[in-house]
Amino acid sequence: MFLQILINSLIAGAIYGLVASGFSLIYSTNKFVHFAHGATVAFSGYMLYFFFGMLGLNFGFSVILAILFAGALGILMNILVYKQLRSRRAGNAILLIASFGILILVESLILLFFGADVKTIDYIAVSRGLSFYSAIITPLQIVIIIVSVILFILLMLLMKKTRLGKAMRAVSDNKDVAEIVGISAESIYNWSFFVGSLIAGVAGVLIGLEQNLEPTMGTSLIIKGFIAAIIGGIGSAPGAILGAFLLGFAENFGIWYLPSGYKDAIAFVLLFIFLLFRPQGILGKKK
Amino acid sequence: MFSAYLIHLLILICIYLILSLALQLAIGYTGLVNFGHIAFFGVGAYTSALLVLNGWPFWAGFLSAGILSALFGFLISWPTNKFKGDYLALATMGFSFVVYAVLLNWTDLTNGPLGIPGIPKPQILGFSFIDNSDFLVLAIGITIISYLIIKRITVSQFGKVLEAIRDDELAVKVLGKDTLKMKSYALAISAFFAGIAGSLYAHYLTYIDPSSFAIMELVPVLLIVIVGGLASLEGTILGTFLIILIPEALRFVGFSSSIVGPMRQILYALILLLILIYKPRGFYGKVDLE
Repeated sequence: MFLQILINSLIAGAIYGLVASGFSLIYSTNKFVHFAHGATVAFSGYMLYFFFGMLGLNFGFSVILAILFAGALGILMNILVYKQLRSRRAGNAILLIASFGILILVESLILLFFGADVKTIDYIAVSRGLSFYSAIITPLQIVIIIVSVILFILLMLLMKKTRLGKAMRAVSDNKDVAEIVGISAESIYNWSFFVGSLIAGVAGVLIGLEQNLEPTMGTSLIIKGFIAAIIGGIGSAPGAILGAFLLGFAENFGIWYLPSGYKDAIAFVLLFIFLLFRPQGILGKKK
Repeated sequence: MFSAYLIHLLILICIYLILSLALQLAIGYTGLVNFGHIAFFGVGAYTSALLVLNGWPFWAGFLSAGILSALFGFLISWPTNKFKGDYLALATMGFSFVVYAVLLNWTDLTNGPLGIPGIPKPQILGFSFIDNSDFLVLAIGITIISYLIIKRITVSQFGKVLEAIRDDELAVKVLGKDTLKMKSYALAISAFFAGIAGSLYAHYLTYIDPSSFAIMELVPVLLIVIVGGLASLEGTILGTFLIILIPEALRFVGFSSSIVGPMRQILYALILLLILIYKPRGFYGKVDLE
C-alpha cells in the first residue's frame, strides 16, 4: 500500500512538474500568472486525438504536430492578448483575469468541436501493469517519469548554457537593464511563451495517453501546476519541479486519510499555508 | 408564455444584480480582487436551503445565509490581509475550491453531486411566493433594499476610507486607520449580500447542486463588474442587464441546447477579452484595477 502510494505520488509529481515547469518559465520572464497555460496542455492532448485518432496520421508525426501546435498557441495568446494589455501597462490582476478569459475561451472551443464526452487515445493497448513488489506501475507511467526527467534536464541546460536561456534570465532579473544591453524583451516574451508552451504540449501528449481527454482538464491541471510553481518558488524551474513532487506526495498521502474528492482542497490548503508562511516558496528568493 | 420567460429573466437579473453589486463593493470600492465570491453565493444558497428544509421560516434562513457568508468573508480577510491584486485573487480562488470540494464531498450534509431538491418557495407571514410573478416582486424588493444599503455605504465616510485603501493603503495606515478592520468589514458586507443572493437563488430554483457554485460561475459576475466599470453602481446595473440578456439571443438564433452552453461561455470570454483590451474601464468605470 505504502509503495503504491509512493509510486502514484511520483507519477502525479512528474505530470504536475511538466505543467508547472512551462508555467514557471513563462512566469519568470513575463511576471504574471498565465492561467491559460492549462488550456495549452488540453489543446495539445486534443490535437493528438485529432491528428492520430480522427485523421489517422502516423503516431510519431501526430505527436510532433500536437507539440508544435501547442507552442504556436502559446505565441498566439501572447501576441493577440497579453501584448496588447502590456502595451497599455495593465496591472497583474488584469492580466490574470485576461488569462482566465483565454482559458475559458479555449476550453469552450474544445467543448464545441469535440463534445463533452470523454475521449481516449488508444495508441497503447491497455497493458498489464508491471508488478513491483506489491505495487503496480504501467510501462506508460515509466515513460512519463523518464520523459519528464529528460525534459527537466534539458530545460536546466537551456536556461544555464544557451544564449536564449541567459537572455531569458536577464529579462527575468531586470527587464530594463536587459533592454539596455540589447536584448529585446518582446522577443524574449515570445520565446518564453513558445518554449513554455512546447513543454505544455509534451505534457498534454503524455497526459492524453495516460488519462482520458476532457474539455475541462486544462483547468484542473493548471491549478495543480501553478500551486506546484508557487510552493516551489515561483519563477524558478527547479523549484517548480520540486513543488510538483511535494504536491504529488501531499495529495496522494492526504487521500489516504480523506475521501479522494478532497484532492483539490488538499492542494489549496497547501498553497494557503505557503502563501501565509513562506510566500516566496521553497527555492524562491525573497523580494 | 413570453411573459413567463420575461419574468424568469428579470428574477435572474435581480439575483445577479445583488451578487454583482456585492462584488463591486469588494473589487471596485475596496480594491479586493475576490475570486472567492462565488463560494459566498454557494454558502448562502446551501445554508438557506438546508435550514428552511429543516423547518426554519424563510426569513430566518435568508438572514442566516447572509450572516454565515459574512462570517466567512470576515474570516477569509484575516489570512489574506497582506495580499493584493493577483495574489489575493489566487488565494481567494483557493477558498472557492475548498468550498466547492466540501459541497461535493460532505454528502451527509449537502447530498453531494446529487444536490438538494424540493427547496420550498419563500413564505413570509403566511403568504407564499409560489407564483413567479409574486417571487419577482419579492426579488425586486430585496434588490432595491440591497442597492440602497450598498449605495449608502459607498457614499458614507466608511466608503471613502475603503476607496482610499484601494488607492493607497499605506497612506490610510499612516493616518492611523486600522485598514485590516476596514477591509474585513467590507469583505463581510460583500459576502453578506452574496449570501442572500444565494438564498434567493436556492428558493427560486428550488434545486441546487455544487456545479452552480464552481469557479467558472464567477465569470459572468466578474464580467458584469468589469463591463459596467469599477467603482460605479450604475455601471453594475447596466452590466447585469447586458451580460444576462446578451446570451439569451443565442436561444433565438436556434442553436441546440448542447451548443448554447459552450457558445455562452465563448461569448463571455470574448466580451471579457475585448473589454480588457479596448475599453479597460468598462462603461462607467472610475478607476483602473491596480
